[in-house]
Amino acid sequence: MDPIISFKNVSKTYSGNPLPSLSDVSFDVSEGEFFCLVGPSGCGKSTVLKIIAGLEEASGGEAAKPKEVAMVFQSGALLPWLSVYENIALGLKAKSVESKKIQEECAKYIEMTGLQEFTNKYPRDLSGGQRQRVGLARALAVEPKVLLLDEPFSALDTATTEELHKDLMKIWQATKKTIVMVSHSIEEAVSLADRIMLMKAGRVEQIFQITLPYPRRELAAEFMRDVQSIRKKFFE
Amino acid sequence: MKIQTKHIHHYHRHMSVSYPASIHQRIYSFVVIPLAVLFVVFFVLSRLGAKNLPLQPMVTWGYLISALSITFARLLLAYALALILAIPLALFINHSPKAERILFPLFDVIQSVPVLAFFPVVIVFFVHYNFYNGAAIFILLLTMAWSIVFSVVGGLQVIPSDIKAAAKVFGLTGIKYVDKVLLPAVVPYLITGSLLAWAGGWNIIIVAEVLHTYIPGGNAGQDLFGIGSVLVATSANNQQHAFFMAMIVLIVFIALMNFFIWQKLLKYAERFKFE
Repeated sequence: MDPIISFKNVSKTYSGNPLPSLSDVSFDVSEGEFFCLVGPSGCGKSTVLKIIAGLEEASGGEAAKPKEVAMVFQSGALLPWLSVYENIALGLKAKSVESKKIQEECAKYIEMTGLQEFTNKYPRDLSGGQRQRVGLARALAVEPKVLLLDEPFSALDTATTEELHKDLMKIWQATKKTIVMVSHSIEEAVSLADRIMLMKAGRVEQIFQITLPYPRRELAAEFMRDVQSIRKKFFE
Repeated sequence: MKIQTKHIHHYHRHMSVSYPASIHQRIYSFVVIPLAVLFVVFFVLSRLGAKNLPLQPMVTWGYLISALSITFARLLLAYALALILAIPLALFINHSPKAERILFPLFDVIQSVPVLAFFPVVIVFFVHYNFYNGAAIFILLLTMAWSIVFSVVGGLQVIPSDIKAAAKVFGLTGIKYVDKVLLPAVVPYLITGSLLAWAGGWNIIIVAEVLHTYIPGGNAGQDLFGIGSVLVATSANNQQHAFFMAMIVLIVFIALMNFFIWQKLLKYAERFKFE
């Protein structure tokens, strides 16, 4: 089966920058896979995500990706003057879907993300974790082929993050979506992803396959071994 | 589990504070209708009130209130026109980096020149068409438009980049982007810009109504009727009691405007602010 995302020798240079942000980046993502990007700051992982999202164009090489993507942002990026419901419906309204259909779709994803009590509230009334749920519902509502997550849990406390990890896993298993996530934490990547791509200085360092069964137990020896092998390469 | 539809927000039925759904509604309700009303009010008032300012011996409260009304109508008209000019201009400057590079420094220079320095030139033009009110409104328009352009451009520049990225990813581009992201995002800045525009406007109009001081060989018969020219005339004629009454009318009105309009608008603007 063809991969849903395929990067071949992709490079990216921003004008005004002598050094390229990406050099010779090649990888594939299969449909339904959970693919995670990790690496030190400035390694290019966010750039890769932006290219997949269509926010940036590759300067060189081929980046094949579907048009129907949606993204969850680290800061949430919700519109403060819209209610939770209106934020979730945003992508559907932009596509001029009729309002009855919008209500049905939003109801489905509001339930999936546990936001039933919050539909008429505004982002300023919500906690960080709840806002990320809204961002997730908004992304799911447009039923994208690929769901992109840009360090969505970086700004949250550990307890909320773990809760959201569990919910993300449930949603992934229910929707079987392809997920590409940028993470600042190797542990997070190992606990969620099928494959992890470690990047350094704009290049692909190594792609790791995690074969542990779900749910992944973070204290298990195998988990720690996988984390360690990535950490070794990370800090080399 | 049954979905509780009553929790779902029925956007089209939500009647309380929600801004219009489309840019056309917005333009219609906030610009076209008020503008039409203003034109009507303005010409009615200018027919009723004395266009020139005879030295009225009896300055009554009624006289002062009609003077204030016509001054206010001038300001309102200039403000509406300033909005129509300034908002698209601000959007254009924000959109085009070339426009920004050329126009911004130009505006900076023009802004530092006192607008009233241009007044004599403006008056000559409007006197030719016997449209004295036009001179005052034009000068007001210039002052107010500057405030609004600068405030709105400032507001557009501080929209978080994640918001812009999200808008693009979720398909809000072109006019939808302007209508659903840019315009709401600048509401707080538009309001503070408007507040500044009106403050500047009151300053200018008080002086600008006394047109004859800017016309070589002019007389008081060329002044525009309004609270500004009443203040100047009563003070020049040493009508202290009348002057004092006129000041009270002006101050009370501005205080009422502040309480009923600006405070409410500033509170409304809170919901549009990014953290």
